[in-house]
Amino acid sequence: MTTPTAIPAGKAVPPPRPSRLWVRAGWTAVLLVVLAAFWRVNIDWSQLSDFVPSLFHYLRLMFCPPAWSQTSAAFSATILSVQMAWIGSILGILISFPLSFLAARNVVPVWVRLPVRLVLAILRAVPEVVIAILILSVTGLTAWTGALALGIGSIGTLGKWGYESFESVSGGPLEAARATGGSRLAVIRWGLWPQAQPEVLAFWLYRFEISVRSSAILGLIGAGGIGKMLSDNTQYQNWNVVGILLIVVVVVTMIIDQISAVLRQRLITGRWALVGYGARRKALTPTGLA
Amino acid sequence: MSDVPAQPAQPRAARPPRPRRGATPWVIGIVLAAITVWAARGVQIDIPAIWQNFSNASGTLMQLFQPDYGFFPQTLSAIEETLMMAVIATAIGSLGSVPLAFLASRATNPSRALLAAIRFLNNVIRAVPDLLYAAVFVAVVGTGALSGVLALFFFNIGILVKLVSESLDGLDRGPQEAALAAGGTWFAADRVSMLPSVAPSFASQVLYTFEVNIRASTVIGLVGAGGLGVLIDNVRTFYHYHYLSLIILEILVLVLVVETASSMLRKQLAR
Amino acid sequence: MTDRRPGTAGDPQIVFDGVGVTYPNGYRGLSDISLTIPAGQMVGVVGLSGAGKSTFVRTINGLVTATEGSLTVNGRDVTTARGKQLRAVRSDIGMVFQGFNLTGRTTVLNNVLMGRLYSAPWWRTLLGAWKSDDVELAMDALTRVEIVQKAYTRASELSGGQQQRVGIARALAQQPSIILADEPVASLDPPTSHVVMEHLRRINGELGVTVITNLHFLDLARKYSDRLLGLRGGHVVFDGTGADADETVFESIYGRSLTGEDVLDATPNLETS
Ligand SMILES: Nc1ncnc2c1ncn2[C@@H]1O[C@H](COP(=O)(O)OP(=O)(O)OP(=O)(O)O)[C@@H](O)[C@H]1O
Ligand SMILES: [Mg+2]
Repeated sequence: MTTPTAIPAGKAVPPPRPSRLWVRAGWTAVLLVVLAAFWRVNIDWSQLSDFVPSLFHYLRLMFCPPAWSQTSAAFSATILSVQMAWIGSILGILISFPLSFLAARNVVPVWVRLPVRLVLAILRAVPEVVIAILILSVTGLTAWTGALALGIGSIGTLGKWGYESFESVSGGPLEAARATGGSRLAVIRWGLWPQAQPEVLAFWLYRFEISVRSSAILGLIGAGGIGKMLSDNTQYQNWNVVGILLIVVVVVTMIIDQISAVLRQRLITGRWALVGYGARRKALTPTGLA
Repeated sequence: MSDVPAQPAQPRAARPPRPRRGATPWVIGIVLAAITVWAARGVQIDIPAIWQNFSNASGTLMQLFQPDYGFFPQTLSAIEETLMMAVIATAIGSLGSVPLAFLASRATNPSRALLAAIRFLNNVIRAVPDLLYAAVFVAVVGTGALSGVLALFFFNIGILVKLVSESLDGLDRGPQEAALAAGGTWFAADRVSMLPSVAPSFASQVLYTFEVNIRASTVIGLVGAGGLGVLIDNVRTFYHYHYLSLIILEILVLVLVVETASSMLRKQLAR
Repeated sequence: MTDRRPGTAGDPQIVFDGVGVTYPNGYRGLSDISLTIPAGQMVGVVGLSGAGKSTFVRTINGLVTATEGSLTVNGRDVTTARGKQLRAVRSDIGMVFQGFNLTGRTTVLNNVLMGRLYSAPWWRTLLGAWKSDDVELAMDALTRVEIVQKAYTRASELSGGQQQRVGIARALAQQPSIILADEPVASLDPPTSHVVMEHLRRINGELGVTVITNLHFLDLARKYSDRLLGLRGGHVVFDGTGADADETVFESIYGRSLTGEDVLDATPNLETS
């Protein structure tokens, strides 16, 4: 037991301010990088002064009024994009599903896992459009090859989400399955899969949402669908057609997002509910994905 | 099989009836199959075409596996432009997203009507893919890095406002309540209580957005918005596959390096 | 199939001969265990936390591999068994866990059917197309622990005591000759603990299944076992009946005298249990 030291009368001495040297150095570095980028980049910032008026000018050209007569053409182009996204997602799911088992720590040993993970990491790093360009340069430009590109492009992310959800299951049921004398397959099927299934299905839906956006992009480089119609019309400055296209894309994408979000909600929580921002649970969105 | 427990503890009648799942699984299966058939016809699935094309294109493929490293110096300025577009767009996008994110969270915006309007607007912004923004802005301000930065800016707003407002929704509201109880305005309360609480996850989301930007800025040049994409478009038009494969290799390295660094930083932030 | 059921009660069934366990990190979990557990016995294992209770029971079904000596269960050597052989040994031994280890997201029945994984062909386990005999066995097992009404409920919706009964039913569905229970009541309240222990005792009495239970509380162990094993530092320091386990025995196991924390029913008096 030590006796409490008497509190000295007079001015209180504040403790020294903790050193935040590293934090400050970090922020300074970030600031310098940003400033350097602004300074080096080949942009004439004065152009921005008439950006807002010219944006409004183009918005008026697009939406006042949009070319309503083209609605059905825009709609069928969008539908083709959605079909590409669907087929692409199915291909991606079929290929990534076995791969995600082969990449999971609690399923296979290191020497199987590492090469599979490497392949997934590479597929994830290459942007889908680039994969599409590769495939398209080999196979020619059709909606089908666009779907193929989307499928291959989605393997990386789907595979990663898959093995991450497999690895996050609790070990207890796995051990219980092992203790009953179950084979490796049985342990996976009855110990692991029931735990991971809802998340994995939700990820599939989520990936479809992403693919819907990407499929619009593929059209820009020639795979057909909404992107193709868009690039054709911007080229010839048919702004009111571009307007209706944007409206159709936005509406269809938002509808698909909402349906998919409701289904995902249902999968994870077992309840049907309209999904707004706040209601969406963290688990619904894979780590670090918008 | 040997002797089953001799005396079942209760008569069979005590068992619950098997719950009827009805037709639901069938309906789901049929709907999924129908969508797939419909989509397959739409895109005209043609599996033999894959093999044919690949055997026709074996020459191209061989070229793709032999990157021309001599092209590297000519790609440097495009790489730099790609990086700068990503940095600038992340910087202005993260600054711009802060007020919108606070308006888009039910924790920080007391006005339900404004909340709904901002969220709807952001859903619209998010529904447009990055390359579509780029294509439109190239038409508005001309080709070059500016249209790329603008496209990425809107793209970032869409991501960040959603992620940050969801983080805000998930925060503990105690400190905010305390600030309001002390007589602060909503603005003051959010500034002193919610902003510091959301800062770490905001920083992590900005880093994530930077990763996404690097990936996007390598390709938005395809429609003329600057960076490596412009180069891709050029070499692709002239069938220079040795060059194309070098560029893809560069993208791969760039993305992997940035993602690894950023995810390490994000792990630090999460601690 | 031959030995799905215990042989004559009293025949040697689990034989430890100089068994030791050294974990991969070099830690000695068990040392020099030599003992025989006859068929049909109800054994309670007690000891301080870290004494090696879990290691002891998990060695019996090969979840932990014995690194020294030999261990035979129903005449089969567990220490050398691998792959299919090991799975055959395990299929004969049911296991009940402290944390229940149920899959909360699927039904109680599906959880119990996991007990049939060894005997069902692989394609049936893959598709979940269980034979009606298997479903029958699972239902019987659920009936035995009086929870068959919940067969189609999601396991996560049950209370802790109910979940543990499902855990027991899963072990029973294996038609095992031995059930291992690793602290089966450690996450349950006292009345529920007694219910679960009663079920284990009934299974031991009515079906003649050998039951080996790790227990934290000495009074529970004394009440629900024919034979008490005391572990300390990986050694068996006591092997006898509950009645033999007096204060000095207690001190040899726990290294201190009895306190209220060592019994479930709060009076620190061994005689009341
Ligand atoms: N996989 C392992 N690797 C290394 N050491 C281990 C391992 N498992 C257990 N041990 C060690 O072996 C010793 C005995 O562990 P065991 O789990 O058998 O104890 P216990 O008696 O069941 O304790 P408790 O009452 O806490 O469950 C402990 O000191 C533990 O740290
Ligand atoms: Mg233990």
